[in-house]
Amino acid sequence: MTQFTLNGRPVEVDNAPDEMLLLVLRDTLKLKGTKYGCGAAMCGACTVHVDGVASFSCQMSVGDVEGSEVTTIEGLSQDGLHPVQQAWIDEQVAQCGYCQSGQIMRAAALLADNPNPTRAEIVDEMSANLCRCGTYARIIKAVERAAAEV
Amino acid sequence: MSLNRRAFLQGATGLTFLVGATGVTAVHAAGSDTPLDVNMWLTIYPDGTITVIHPSTEMGQSSYSTLPQILAEELDAAWEDVEIEQLNADDRRFGNQLFGGVLYTAGSTGTQFYFDPMRRAGAQARNVLLQIAARAWGLEPSSLRTEPSRVLGPDGQSARYGDLAALGADGLTVPDAAAVPLKDPAAFRIIGHDLPRRDVPAKSTGQAVYAIDVDVPGMAYAAVLRAPVEDEIPLGVEDAAARETPGVIDIVTLPDGVAVVATSLWAALGARGLLEVTWSETSPFRASNSADTLAEYAAAANAPDAAGAVWAEKGDAPGAIAAATTQFSQLYLSDYAYHAQIEPMAAVADVDADGQGAEVWAGTQTQSWTIRTVAETLGIPTQNVRLNMMTMGGGFGRRTALMQNYVRDAVLCSQAVGRPVKVIWPREDDVRQGTFRPAAAQKIEAGLTSDGKLDGWYHKVATPAVIAFFNPLRWAAAQPNDVISMRGAESKFYDIKDFRADHIITERHARLSPYRGIGASYTAFAAEAFMDELAERAGRDPLDFRLDLVQDNPRGRHLLETVADMSDWRNRSGRALGLSFAGYSSSMAAGVAEVAVDPARGEIQVTKFWAAIDAGLIVAPDNARNQIEGGIAFGISMALSEKIDIEHGEVVQENFYDYEITRAFQMPALEIYIAEVDAPPVGVGEVGTPMVPSAIANAFYAAHGKRLRHMPFTPDRVTEALGT
Repeated sequence: MTQFTLNGRPVEVDNAPDEMLLLVLRDTLKLKGTKYGCGAAMCGACTVHVDGVASFSCQMSVGDVEGSEVTTIEGLSQDGLHPVQQAWIDEQVAQCGYCQSGQIMRAAALLADNPNPTRAEIVDEMSANLCRCGTYARIIKAVERAAAEV
Repeated sequence: MSLNRRAFLQGATGLTFLVGATGVTAVHAAGSDTPLDVNMWLTIYPDGTITVIHPSTEMGQSSYSTLPQILAEELDAAWEDVEIEQLNADDRRFGNQLFGGVLYTAGSTGTQFYFDPMRRAGAQARNVLLQIAARAWGLEPSSLRTEPSRVLGPDGQSARYGDLAALGADGLTVPDAAAVPLKDPAAFRIIGHDLPRRDVPAKSTGQAVYAIDVDVPGMAYAAVLRAPVEDEIPLGVEDAAARETPGVIDIVTLPDGVAVVATSLWAALGARGLLEVTWSETSPFRASNSADTLAEYAAAANAPDAAGAVWAEKGDAPGAIAAATTQFSQLYLSDYAYHAQIEPMAAVADVDADGQGAEVWAGTQTQSWTIRTVAETLGIPTQNVRLNMMTMGGGFGRRTALMQNYVRDAVLCSQAVGRPVKVIWPREDDVRQGTFRPAAAQKIEAGLTSDGKLDGWYHKVATPAVIAFFNPLRWAAAQPNDVISMRGAESKFYDIKDFRADHIITERHARLSPYRGIGASYTAFAAEAFMDELAERAGRDPLDFRLDLVQDNPRGRHLLETVADMSDWRNRSGRALGLSFAGYSSSMAAGVAEVAVDPARGEIQVTKFWAAIDAGLIVAPDNARNQIEGGIAFGISMALSEKIDIEHGEVVQENFYDYEITRAFQMPALEIYIAEVDAPPVGVGEVGTPMVPSAIANAFYAAHGKRLRHMPFTPDRVTEALGT
């Protein structure tokens, strides 16, 4: 039995403590916004916040988050209009969209930590996440836009 | 509207309309609460909702928004009234005639093909709405006009489309699609204007549902241990330990693998690791080694008398080259490349208890072949297959095959365990069971006149026939012309008097499929890198040498001149710039790359990329720009790092740590110009990609005086070229 806070609400799951957090979020708790891409910390599609830190949920076991606060794309804002999400819509970033939950979660953590990042800091941080459609130019612009509006 | 479009049309057939060769010819009775079906593409409901069919599939290119926008434009619909209905059936009336009427989304053809029929469908419906209003008001249709979702009369009359639909069109005639008047483009308020994509909000909030996200009651999960080498089969399975794993439901032997079906993916993956499978060892692919393959293809291209199936020909290239003042030739190589779409292959199947039907959820580039896969697997008629076409987490050609084997596996597993099953390929499976862009060796021979002009061009491409593998049905009709292997080698944007391109069809040693840019991803690399070498031989500037060849292509000339201005090409002293002029199909692209090279590490950074694009009429400009930006990123990725190796028939790479694709820090500053032209739309999905590798190779030469003739330009190849 693992207890943690998910998107502001306490949850309790009886998955084996070594089960991949990503799969518990997706298949047990039915939050599908967090994506599987590589299972190897290489693509960032599975990025969530664990105690405010952008984390690869494919590299954590559910037992690792006992007592922690986990936030997924579904809990980033009440209405889906977190400034980063609004910037993503305004810049029309998404193409296939599959990586964008992870991109948005990483960007939101960056801005929470550093509200006025330089362009180099944005590029450096966002380089942890892959986008095969190649929307990087818009991702950078959207983070800059969100930073200006936060 | 969740109404099943096909079911509705079938239910209504004979009652509401007749379909002729050019579309609907008559509309019959409709009651006051009956929606108006002017033609098969759309339905107008009394509440004002307008549903429009999306005949393609969505993988990021935005045809889901763009194609219905084309119809909405001519209908003069308010875009917010439009609901988009994904076509889930293999209904060939909606098929893409550029692919023989198959429901198939590939080759940047969606807008190119559907632009005209969907415009005309919208125009037909608008015409009928005008007739309904005219009858109601006792006026001539010609005295009426429309504004978004309303018909207006000369004396202040006004009616919503929904209210007019409720009046019915009994006895009215639908104008012939071929003859219906179309809008003056100057009056467009959707086409060419930037309406936001319909799918972006859901994709920015985690709400978009991909095949991998589908969850149906009672669903189990399957992980498949696959044959390590193509054509091998499981001979024996030791599964006792796997079966004892908590959550495991069954172990299912597949034609080329063994599936563990379990109550969770976690359990399935864990148990899969406990399987011991004895594989056959007779496959000829066990002898496949990618280094040997490339050497074999290079020998085929290099053979003095090498010739193949003629792909494109004009004049007498061999004769002209032999008679030219000087002759020059060069060999270019490129390795296997992998799609790396971020959503790995996944599908859910729920086979009916009697085995005579199935519901399937999958994201693929073809309704036709996905439904065919299910029908063939179960031996049932295609109409018994209920497909749910999902939005895809990237396609790039990966989801195009005649046999969608991950869908097949989900079907077989569901049939075996009697409940819905989701099959997911972990990334390692997605890579190692990949279907790749083929390795290729290309020899180009050319002649030069005494005054430094091109005098004959002969491009030989030694690579397998991709279509023969990924779609044998299509190959039977197309052979020996393989557009997937050869696209771009026709160099059709240049006027070359004596020209020939041959496909030397080599033996296949790996699984193959289309990849972004198809043949042009490597043929344009060879052609435009060679063009630079020729210009140097001729003592000409690479820009001037190319401008000579576009005298009869003013739109192409405009792109070359524009990208030269954008990059200040004429004043490039001290900057490492490389030029390329390529494109995709009928869409043209001129590009200039600026690079910085770290000679010690062999790393190339593209610092800036200028592109000038002509893709005909642009329906959705901001999306077009997004596609081109992404196409350039893809081109950089394939140029610098993407390489699949095969040893003893097994794929060496397995994940993004050994198959690297471009990341944010590798992106250059982008400057993109899109020409505004009065010409039909010809596609933006791939036009950004083919020009990139040659522009980088040519920029590298400008910086270091060394040629890169083997793509990708990995650090070991760069340091070898530099002698560092």
